[in-house]
Amino acid sequence: MRSLRHSSTVAALVAGLSLAAVQAFAQPAGVLRVAVGADPATFDPAFNDLPVGNAVDLAVLEGLYRLDPQNNVQKSLATDSSFSPDGKVFTVKIKPGRTFSNGDPLNAEAVAASFNRMLDEKTGSIYRGLYASLGTIKAVGEDTVEFHLAEPNGHILMLLANTAASIVNVKALKEMGAEYGRKPVGSGPYMVERFVGGEGFRLVPNPKYAGDYPATLKAIDFSVVPEDGSRMALMETGAADIVERVPPESIDAINALKSAKVVTPPSMFSVNMEMVLRGPLADAKVRKALNLAIDRDGIAKGVLGGLGTPSVGMVGPGTQDELRKTFPLLQFDPEGAKKLLAEAGYKPGQLALSFTCPTGRYIKDVQVCQALAGSLGNVGIKATPLVVDRGTWTKVVGMEPAQRTDNMGMVGRATAGMDYTLYRLFFTGVGANRTGYSNPRVDGLLKEGRAATDPAKQKEIYGEIQEIVWKDQPFLFLWYQTQAIGVANRVQGFAVQPNETLVFDKVTLK
Amino acid sequence: MFVLRRLGGALPTLFAVSLLVFFFVDLIPGDPAQILAGPTASNEEIESIRKFLGLNEPLLTRYGHFIRGIWDPAAATSFRTHRPVVVELAERLPNTLIVSIGGLAIGVLVGTLAGIVSAMRPGGAADAAITVLTLAGISMPIYWLGLLCIWLFAVNLGWLPAAGASTPAHFVLPILVIATRPAAMFSRLVAASLTEAMGKDYLDTARAKGLSETRVVLAHALRNSLIAAVSVAGVQFGGMLGGSVVTETVFGIPGVGRLLVDAVSRADYPVIQYAILMFAVFFVLINLVTDLLTQWLDPRTREQERPA
Repeated sequence: MRSLRHSSTVAALVAGLSLAAVQAFAQPAGVLRVAVGADPATFDPAFNDLPVGNAVDLAVLEGLYRLDPQNNVQKSLATDSSFSPDGKVFTVKIKPGRTFSNGDPLNAEAVAASFNRMLDEKTGSIYRGLYASLGTIKAVGEDTVEFHLAEPNGHILMLLANTAASIVNVKALKEMGAEYGRKPVGSGPYMVERFVGGEGFRLVPNPKYAGDYPATLKAIDFSVVPEDGSRMALMETGAADIVERVPPESIDAINALKSAKVVTPPSMFSVNMEMVLRGPLADAKVRKALNLAIDRDGIAKGVLGGLGTPSVGMVGPGTQDELRKTFPLLQFDPEGAKKLLAEAGYKPGQLALSFTCPTGRYIKDVQVCQALAGSLGNVGIKATPLVVDRGTWTKVVGMEPAQRTDNMGMVGRATAGMDYTLYRLFFTGVGANRTGYSNPRVDGLLKEGRAATDPAKQKEIYGEIQEIVWKDQPFLFLWYQTQAIGVANRVQGFAVQPNETLVFDKVTLK
Repeated sequence: MFVLRRLGGALPTLFAVSLLVFFFVDLIPGDPAQILAGPTASNEEIESIRKFLGLNEPLLTRYGHFIRGIWDPAAATSFRTHRPVVVELAERLPNTLIVSIGGLAIGVLVGTLAGIVSAMRPGGAADAAITVLTLAGISMPIYWLGLLCIWLFAVNLGWLPAAGASTPAHFVLPILVIATRPAAMFSRLVAASLTEAMGKDYLDTARAKGLSETRVVLAHALRNSLIAAVSVAGVQFGGMLGGSVVTETVFGIPGVGRLLVDAVSRADYPVIQYAILMFAVFFVLINLVTDLLTQWLDPRTREQERPA
């Protein structure tokens, strides 16, 4: 009798667990399930620095402009814009009658308040510097916003199209405090219904949305799963429709599934070894020799498992492609490298270089650094990779060139537009120029390019800057990252921006 | 009285921990402002964020602020989310406790049963099988075992979910995985101390009274054998809390361990400092509970009443 009771208990327990498991795997129609690798602690656009946060901001908030999946600027809340003749005031007209999801009006005043909040030092936004050129923002009537610029900026549309410039409801933000970061009140097609820190969050349609991309899904469920293997298991078991960051070794396994495939859209992430331009690396011949010593194709295929494309220019694809210039691939030529080193006065074994590499920041970063050390060793350079934790790496690559004790550091760049990318890296003496690069011609062009508002003129100026930088080779140019995202066959209309933002505008489920 | 005295005695320990935690965390490589600002930020932008976070204040002022945060949630907010750290911890703690306590309970139960079986038939087939499993349980890294279980039970058999924490089913695999180590340790510990106790005279007295062997083992030998096991359980539980990060990462469970690792990689000082301080308080409490349990099991260890 006792054993019978025992068996019944066990059976009930097993049945209960199975039921719970079945419920967990159920596929409710119209609910998209996305597994992401990074934990978005906040969706507040003034503080978010993760692609998954950008994806949520794009769906939940609206900006004056937005980027399409190819990173082209499109109008969103804005209807029209113009510069004053002196280029110091930028005026934007916005769509009338729009509201936030809580019913508050989204008028010129709300837009100005949102920008002024981000630019206020007391907010502590990580994007205040990026947007500093916007100056002061004023509302004129219900539908006109004026940007009284701190300096002329011909790249303002690119800045305004970034999700960091999304319009937040400052009134709601004051009431909610830090919780606003978890459930931002916006005017986008979706709203955050639920947020469980570290576990996941759910987006549901915003009934008050009146824009061009109404919600197509009943809900979007995000789960945060940092471990690659576990995230891939969700795809293999059908518990997720989209999985972020498929590691190279799992691509074949996902592609072998009948229910899903891996898509590999390009990423604007340009990963390079940024040189400290003093000592041996002040010599252009040595820099050229380093660039000739590397088999970029071999690294992209052999080490990165295909998730990288050899660099053909400093600026990655998708960073304002209309202004981007590419060059013939730098050939792998170890003999040429040896010759150049000899010309620079270094016999085999005489030149010793060290380079700082992060652990787990970029795809296969540690392995790439080992491969680079081998390649440089082949041409007679004693190369020492310094593999460090993320904190140390951030500290080292952020140091002034004079303080550095290493010769190069691996850094990936994916930034908002051509001006922002090039000015910060190559203008003489600016805070983020960590190589010590200085070229008077480039300085002049960068200033001119920032103020230019004519696209043809911008193209000409930035073309020349990119050409000079490519020839000067202040970096050991490596690769552009390729994204790898697992997508179930039932998902249609899914797109990804080159800045790794998932776009759910037109997603439907079969 | 004993409990109060012990808690009072823990205060200097916790003060020392607070000093260590604060000053060592400050030595972690990397500047929180620089990490938040990103690699393209200029020196001016980094300085502005540093000022916003209060990082340019003198070290002692910041320590005072840290101590104040222990009772004033508004003074202890995450650098990254700006929410009170106590709220962040309170949201995550239940998940960590479910996995740790569940893992320990199952581990103790399975380990004790296996230990008894081993001790009652030493050298038998069951003993041999348990020895092999124990060795495997102690040797297998939790990370690897976790992935193996996901592969078997989630991907191939489809019985349980692979990752997440939204239903009770999500906790089954992590609890089983984390239970392997305590189960293995307990089975060895209980088997060894039971075997030793079996030869003691007082058991012969019990046998002479005509009690069955099972009764002799369970009612007389086991209680004495558990004294050592209880101290080990305390240490194991502390270790499980500290090591929860591995299990939480593999199974995508939002617990304190993962919060702590995220905070370290982003130099979110307040979250790191208060999380470690919380673990220290837990360790003190676990030690206290372990001592109380040991005293209950072994009256010889109880404190004598001191004359006034």
